[in-house]
Amino acid sequence: MTQTKAVQAMQSDRLTAPAVEAQGLVKTYRGRSGTVEAVRGVDLRVEIGEIFGFLGPNGAGKSTTVKMLTTLLSITAGTARIVGVDVATQPDAVRQRIGVALQEAGLDARQTGRELLVLQGRLFDLSADAAASRAAELLELVELTAAADRMIKSYSGGMKRRLDLASALMHEPEVLFLDEPTTGLDPASRVTVWDEVRRINERGTTVFLTTQYLEEADALCDRLAIIDDGRIVREGTPAQLKAELTNRLGLAQEATLDDVFLDATGRTRLAGEVQEVKA
Amino acid sequence: MTHTLVLGRRALREGIRTPEAIVPTLFIPLFFLVVNVGQVARIFPGSTTAFLHGQGYGAFQLPSSMLLAASFGSAALFLVEEIEGGYFDKLRATPVRRSAIVLGRLFAEGTKALLIASLIVLLGLIFGITIASGFLGFLLLIFLTAGWAVVYSGYMQIIALKTRSAAATNSAGLIFFPLLFLTPNFVPRNLLTHPMEIAATINPVTYVMEAMRSLILQDLRWETIGLGYLVIAVAGAIMLALSVRVIRNYD
Repeated sequence: MTQTKAVQAMQSDRLTAPAVEAQGLVKTYRGRSGTVEAVRGVDLRVEIGEIFGFLGPNGAGKSTTVKMLTTLLSITAGTARIVGVDVATQPDAVRQRIGVALQEAGLDARQTGRELLVLQGRLFDLSADAAASRAAELLELVELTAAADRMIKSYSGGMKRRLDLASALMHEPEVLFLDEPTTGLDPASRVTVWDEVRRINERGTTVFLTTQYLEEADALCDRLAIIDDGRIVREGTPAQLKAELTNRLGLAQEATLDDVFLDATGRTRLAGEVQEVKA
Repeated sequence: MTHTLVLGRRALREGIRTPEAIVPTLFIPLFFLVVNVGQVARIFPGSTTAFLHGQGYGAFQLPSSMLLAASFGSAALFLVEEIEGGYFDKLRATPVRRSAIVLGRLFAEGTKALLIASLIVLLGLIFGITIASGFLGFLLLIFLTAGWAVVYSGYMQIIALKTRSAAATNSAGLIFFPLLFLTPNFVPRNLLTHPMEIAATINPVTYVMEAMRSLILQDLRWETIGLGYLVIAVAGAIMLALSVRVIRNYD
């Protein structure tokens, strides 16, 4: 095959590739107390244009999986591709295609909102003018224009989350990773973030969302996967997962996503309390 | 290069907006200068002490204060803050060259050190110190100081990246005391006791200090100046190679 044909074949593969694809993804850490397996062979496939929810209890491996998919952590074993681009071998090409808003709303508190966005744009090789203009557009989108020239340290939690979201969108990514974007927000701010996520998705961006809030996953996600103890334990649309549990347990009322989550993570609800299921 | 400059400008803005981190950089070295000169100047009067080349003892002590000021860089602590706050991961998720993340802060530290060194020299001039090597010597002096600031900040950044802890980074900064005090800090090397002379001879900071001192007290003595710059170049190259390696392997 000539080099041109090889490039064309690669481009064609990318056109038909899923937004996110992981096979046998593993992450192990070596600590003082021995080797810890944080992720134990995760397979995932997220189609272009989806809002995909990634759920799991604390410490299940959600954030570790996201960090591997976003090039922030090395992959111990397995493969991951973003829009057909290999995460381990072409990390910079992956970074060009993804936007990342991590759990901590990592922002530089000593910059203004506008400065932070312009800087983010410059790091994605936008010219100074293009970065300034895109920053103004996004500040408008997340309703922060009035606070744009204030130091970020004076922002509320909700404002910081919206700014973080805007910074992840500066370079118009194909896939947006949101790691627990509403944790710690009041209900009104949470709904605002949900609206932003829907609006972003309607514009064609695939969204990979990790969350601990089941109502958030139910309200936003086309499909979801539940991870527990480093392994995917359920995957499907919210409706499919609820119907499967209702049928399997022969419930009189349709199961909720809470029930699906508790069932998938080895817990059950008895007399209004959540209890561990002992094997 | 663009990424380094963009990140460097951001680090400078950060410095300007945190005056509480800059004030001690100026105040503490000047405090030591005043105290050291006050305690020792009568032992070494300028008129009869050969190694002062006709100047007062303040001129001899000035390099120590400049090196101390250049070792107060805040880059590493800001970096730890960024790692803990999550912004560092945000930067790593962009296609910016890993080395630019390190170099941006070092660019800012170098620039700040140029300004601070100029200010200390200016204050010295007001109190009667002269730069015997002239304007070229002045430039060589402040660039040598800035070079040391970059090397030392780079070392601190490596510790910050490896430990991700403000406490560990602060503790690692204490290495400055043996580096500064195992030098011909109060008298020339040939007047030190034999063990101290050996310690000073193997301490690379000695050659930086001697280069700076020669620029203040004497005309351009290229051999001494060259040795000072050589130490900065070698230490800088090692520090940069290690920094880039550490940030590339950051997981």
